[in-house]
Amino acid sequence: MLRDYFNKMQGVTKSPPAVNLSEIMWSWIGAFLGIATVALISYKVLEGKGLTMIIGSFGASAVLIYGAIKSPLAQPRNLLGGHIFSAVIGVTSYQLFNPHIWFAAAIAVATAVAFMHATKTLHPPGGATALIAVIGGESVHKLGYLYAIIPTAAGASIMLIVALLVNNIPRSRRYPEFWL
Amino acid sequence: MDENINRINLPVSIEISDDDIYEAMKNISGYLDITPADLKEIYKFAYRHAWERITQSVKAHDIMTKQVFSVKKDTPLKEVAELMAEKSVSGIPVIKEDGKVAGIISEKDFLLHMCAGDKPHFMAVVAEFLSGKGCVTFPVRLQKAEDIMTSPAIIVREDATVVEISNIFFEKNINRVPVTDREGKLLGIVSRADIVRALLITGKPLT
Repeated sequence: MLRDYFNKMQGVTKSPPAVNLSEIMWSWIGAFLGIATVALISYKVLEGKGLTMIIGSFGASAVLIYGAIKSPLAQPRNLLGGHIFSAVIGVTSYQLFNPHIWFAAAIAVATAVAFMHATKTLHPPGGATALIAVIGGESVHKLGYLYAIIPTAAGASIMLIVALLVNNIPRSRRYPEFWL
Repeated sequence: MDENINRINLPVSIEISDDDIYEAMKNISGYLDITPADLKEIYKFAYRHAWERITQSVKAHDIMTKQVFSVKKDTPLKEVAELMAEKSVSGIPVIKEDGKVAGIISEKDFLLHMCAGDKPHFMAVVAEFLSGKGCVTFPVRLQKAEDIMTSPAIIVREDATVVEISNIFFEKNINRVPVTDREGKLLGIVSRADIVRALLITGKPLT
C-alpha cells in the first residue's frame, strides 16, 4: 500500500505540446496592455489617495487571461468570481485571526480554494488575492472590505475588458469560452 | 476460445494511441489546459457513450418486419411448408386465436422430424435421399404446426435494442425472433438480416 502511495508520484503522461509563435506573441501583447492599464491607473490616477488598482495576483491573472485563454481557469466567471470571493474571504480571515498572521494566511488561502471549487470559480490568482489580504501590510489592512472592490473587482474588470478586446483580434483566437 | 469476443455489446474500437492524442492537441493553436492522458481518457469515455447511445437508440420497433406471415396451431404442415416456400422465409411464428405467439417453426424444426437422423441439417436429408432409401416422411400423427413448433417461442418487446437482440441470436443460436406487445400479441419479426442492415446504418462514422 505504501508502494502504491509513492508510485502515484511517478507521473503517467507527458507535458502538452508547446504553443506556436503567434500564441506567444499575442499572449505578450495582451499581458502588456492589461497590466499597463491597471498600473497606469494605479500610479497616475490613484496615487496619493491611499488606493491602488494593482496587486500581485494580477500578474498571475495575466498569465491565464492572456496566455491560456482556452483554460477553464481563465474564463470571466473564474477571473471575477475567483478574485472577489477570495478577497472577501481573505479580509474576513485577517480580521478574525489577526494577530495570528500565519494562521489567518493559511485559513484564508485554504478557504478560498475550497470556496472557489464549490462555486466553480477556481482561479489560481484568487489564492494570491486571499493571501495578500492577510500579509499585504498596512495599506491593505486599512482598506478593510473595500479591498474587494478596489483594487480587486475594479482591477480584474479592467483586465477583463482588455482581454475581451485584445484576445479576439487574431483569427486563431477567441475569448471567452463561456460566461456562465 | 473466449466466447465473449463474439458478443457485440462492446465498443468496436478504442485503440486511440497516446501519439494520436498528442498530435491532435497540436492541431489546436492555443494552450490546452489538459494533459494528454486525461484527454485520452475523456476520448475513450465519449466514444463509449456515443456507441451506447447509437446502439441503444435503434430498437426492434425500428427494424422489425411488420408484415409477418404466420400460421395457426392447427395449420397442416404441408400448408406451413408451402407458405414458407412461397414467402421465402426460413422461419414462421405460430399464433393462437387471440393473436398471441404460441411458438415458432423454423427450417430446423422440419429437418429434426425428417429423415435426418440426429443432425438437423439439410444435407443429411439429401444424403438420406441419395442413399436410395427414399424419404420416409413424418409419422402420421405429426400433421399440424403445433406438433413440430418450438414452444414457448423466444420473443422480444418493441423496445429491445439491436444489441440485446443480437446477443439473443448468439446465445440461443436462432436466426429470427418475433416481436410482441406486453400481452404477447405478434407485432413483427426481426431476422439476422435486419440486424446486419441496422448495424450498417448505425455504423456510419461519427462526424
